[in-house]
Amino acid sequence: MTGKGTDRRRRSSGGDLVTRGGAATIVAPAAAVVAVFLVFPALWTLYLGLTNRGLTGINAANPQFVGLENYTTALSDPALWNSLQVTFIFVSGSAIVGQAVLGFTLAWVFRNWQSWVRRALELLVVVAWIVPSSVVAFLWVAFLDGESGTLNAILGIETEWLLRHPLLSVIVFNTWRGTAFSMLLFGAALNSLPPSYLETSRLAGASPLQQLFDIILPSIKGYIITNLLLISLWTFNDFSPYLITGGGPAGATEVLPIYIYNESIRFGELGFGSAISAIMLVINLLIALSYLRAGRSRS
Amino acid sequence: MRDFVVRVAFIGFSAFVGAFFALPMLWLVFAPFDSTPTLAAQIPEFTLENFSDLLSNASALRSLGNSLILVAGVVGVVLLVGAPASYVLSRIKFPGRDVFLYMLLLMSSVITGAAAMVPLFLLTFELGLNDRFPGVILVLAGGMLPASIFILKDFTDTTPRSYEESARVFGATTLQTLRDVVVPVIRPGLAVISVWTAVNVWSNFLIPFILLRSPSKSPAAVLMYSFYTEGGQPNLRLIAAFSLLYTVPILLLYGYVNRKYGFRFHGGLKS
Amino acid sequence: MAGIEISEITKIFPGEVTALSELDLSIEDGEFFALLGPSGCGKTTLLRTIAGLEPATSGSLDIGDRDVTSLPPGDRNVAMVFQDYALYPHMTVRDNIAYPLKVQKVGREARYGEAEKAGSSLSLDGLMDRRPGQLSGGQQQRVAVARAVACRPDVFLFDEPLSNLDAQLRLEARGFLKQLQKDLGTTTVYVTHDQGEALALADRMAVMDHGVIRQVGTPTELFHRPANVFVAGFIGSTPMNLIPGVLGDGNVRFDGGVLPLNGRGDTGGEVFYGIRPEYITIGDVGDISGTVAITENLGAQFLVTVDVAGQLIRAVVAEGSEPATGDTATVNPDPDRVLVYDRESGELTPGAGYH
Repeated sequence: MTGKGTDRRRRSSGGDLVTRGGAATIVAPAAAVVAVFLVFPALWTLYLGLTNRGLTGINAANPQFVGLENYTTALSDPALWNSLQVTFIFVSGSAIVGQAVLGFTLAWVFRNWQSWVRRALELLVVVAWIVPSSVVAFLWVAFLDGESGTLNAILGIETEWLLRHPLLSVIVFNTWRGTAFSMLLFGAALNSLPPSYLETSRLAGASPLQQLFDIILPSIKGYIITNLLLISLWTFNDFSPYLITGGGPAGATEVLPIYIYNESIRFGELGFGSAISAIMLVINLLIALSYLRAGRSRS
Repeated sequence: MRDFVVRVAFIGFSAFVGAFFALPMLWLVFAPFDSTPTLAAQIPEFTLENFSDLLSNASALRSLGNSLILVAGVVGVVLLVGAPASYVLSRIKFPGRDVFLYMLLLMSSVITGAAAMVPLFLLTFELGLNDRFPGVILVLAGGMLPASIFILKDFTDTTPRSYEESARVFGATTLQTLRDVVVPVIRPGLAVISVWTAVNVWSNFLIPFILLRSPSKSPAAVLMYSFYTEGGQPNLRLIAAFSLLYTVPILLLYGYVNRKYGFRFHGGLKS
Repeated sequence: MAGIEISEITKIFPGEVTALSELDLSIEDGEFFALLGPSGCGKTTLLRTIAGLEPATSGSLDIGDRDVTSLPPGDRNVAMVFQDYALYPHMTVRDNIAYPLKVQKVGREARYGEAEKAGSSLSLDGLMDRRPGQLSGGQQQRVAVARAVACRPDVFLFDEPLSNLDAQLRLEARGFLKQLQKDLGTTTVYVTHDQGEALALADRMAVMDHGVIRQVGTPTELFHRPANVFVAGFIGSTPMNLIPGVLGDGNVRFDGGVLPLNGRGDTGGEVFYGIRPEYITIGDVGDISGTVAITENLGAQFLVTVDVAGQLIRAVVAEGSEPATGDTATVNPDPDRVLVYDRESGELTPGAGYH
């Protein structure tokens, strides 16, 4: 019995190191941690969003059920719409345009290039990704400082970048911060392409751009979708603009996580914050599902 | 002629990318060794005094210790609870297992600390875990377990069952089989998820920021933030030395595992 | 030293898949026994049941004079060589070979001594400090065998141990396995789907199909007198000709003429006329004639396929005496070598065959 089918049968049999009952016992602790600290909070926030739970005072001890009030309040709050708009620009600018395009370009440029320059550049990009976020945040605060920042010193000007162009600044920051992942993933994708693909099209006389659009991008579509899914989700849920601008000035960089933080933890409106959390979870889910759908329709 | 243009564009692009990624980092390289650091990256007047000052700063050292506790806790939970689970999930098949695991992975991307900060805050409060390390550890572990299990299961899938079977034919007990065969074989997988978890926890700002209120419990990520935001003139000598000390361990750890086992994309990410 | 007694072993996997069905088999002490059959026939399941890796659903299994049916694998004193060898990548060759002894709590000195001896008997000297990943396929295979030898088991179990080797090495490995088993005299059960391997190695063998044993016997018995059309088709480097016809008057009639039987069997009925290609001669004279469709060069011989009234009949002839494609040729079976199978049951007709 060497066939695949029999293999599968063999796998489902008893006589393993662990029995089925034993297996359940071994998986249970992991399942419990995930259920209590990941799944339950998501479900609970749906309920909390329907109450006026507060951080302190009477609404903390004895919250009331208020129905959809939090949602109607939220949807008529211009700050929420501002936050959604800022978040949208932040995600599309830094994740999709910034990280994905720059990451792909780097992977593409580096693909056949063996030299210390390539390794040094790759190392720089990866280090930017590994350094803890509160450190890189400060590095950028210093880099962009109006009076004595390195950027202004090089350009010979005195622009207060974080005040004059706050959203652009955090977009550039996040591109810098996260390009490594896209570069590595696309590098792996390009590596996985059999050389015969490109050789065939070169024999047919295709230009590099034609090769890119006709052969390479379609062949690594799965990687592209996975990459976009992950980096959009990560960027959408990124709290690090808070470390640079605190969401300001005047809400200019108040992405949704900062908005939730301000409303619920800082101002103590936990019920209201939960409602926004629920909205955010739904958006997360929609991003995930839409990419999954796109991923499925390619086959 | 065309080759020349392409070559110049190529060099220009590389130089730009190098500058873009290197310039903001320069400060971290120079300032810690500068006796009078400013916000600009500059050639330092070399000194190690910043570090000796740092070593006498109790809260800075304590915060690194706190970070270490959190890392040890989360890595511990992931290995103790996640590794056995992923082994079992790899070896015992039940209907819908792969879909279940994929949904779990998807869920851990959808339910993030940012989106669920309110219920997480309240949950730890209700469980009496607010302002305590176990609360932070369990919340972080809950978020990281699905991906860890997924990666490690993928890894275990590629190791043949005949390894365990042959040990059993020789009469090895379950414990012997695990200790002598299974654990050594999946060790690279364990190392990769440990480092991945450690890097994430070491850097994580949001969860300890929300769940730990006492300054004495702040991990390095949170303390670093308070260094440059809490009123007055920031102490650049302290910040510089602290940044470097906080950053270096994680770079070394990443470099070590990357060199030893190589950076790999596993199952779920490959699509 | 021990024989193996299998009685009424049944193995049903979850999902009601029957892998073994009330199977009886006895393997003699010191015998080299081959289990042969196509993929999915249950031969590996039977081997794994003997090892204890698959608990039997019902039935009993004795090794020597011990009933091991419900014993865990480690208590059966068997050693198994897996198809993928299952060498531990993190251990050296020496540690791999010594590992079973370590499990049996043999002291360090003693087990390394045994490992050294076993390695030496399989020409692994000089490789003992390597890791499996640094060895060739043939070397890995020998390490796996050495590990089994070092345990000094009652029974060796081999699960297609040669299937990952290339043809040249396989022939070599076949030789040393046979020699090794002869020297040690250890009862050996050997699973393979390659009939040539089974014929070459085994003292006795069983042909399995769909969880049952279709025939047990020596390689000679199975080659010369397959008990049914399944075994007839499975054994032999070129399959036996099975020509459908009608039995009567001491011969078998089919569309192409009358096939000789030397007067044996005069009861009527639909049968297969079984004759190995090796026992057919091709000529110019004879009752059954057709057109040569294909000739294939087998080296010292040729396999000639003749189309006789739509029925393809294969014959093996010596090189130089093969006809050209398209020629007319006669087909002359050796009536003493003919086997007659009942067409409905596929079983060998009693008395209708040579002895």
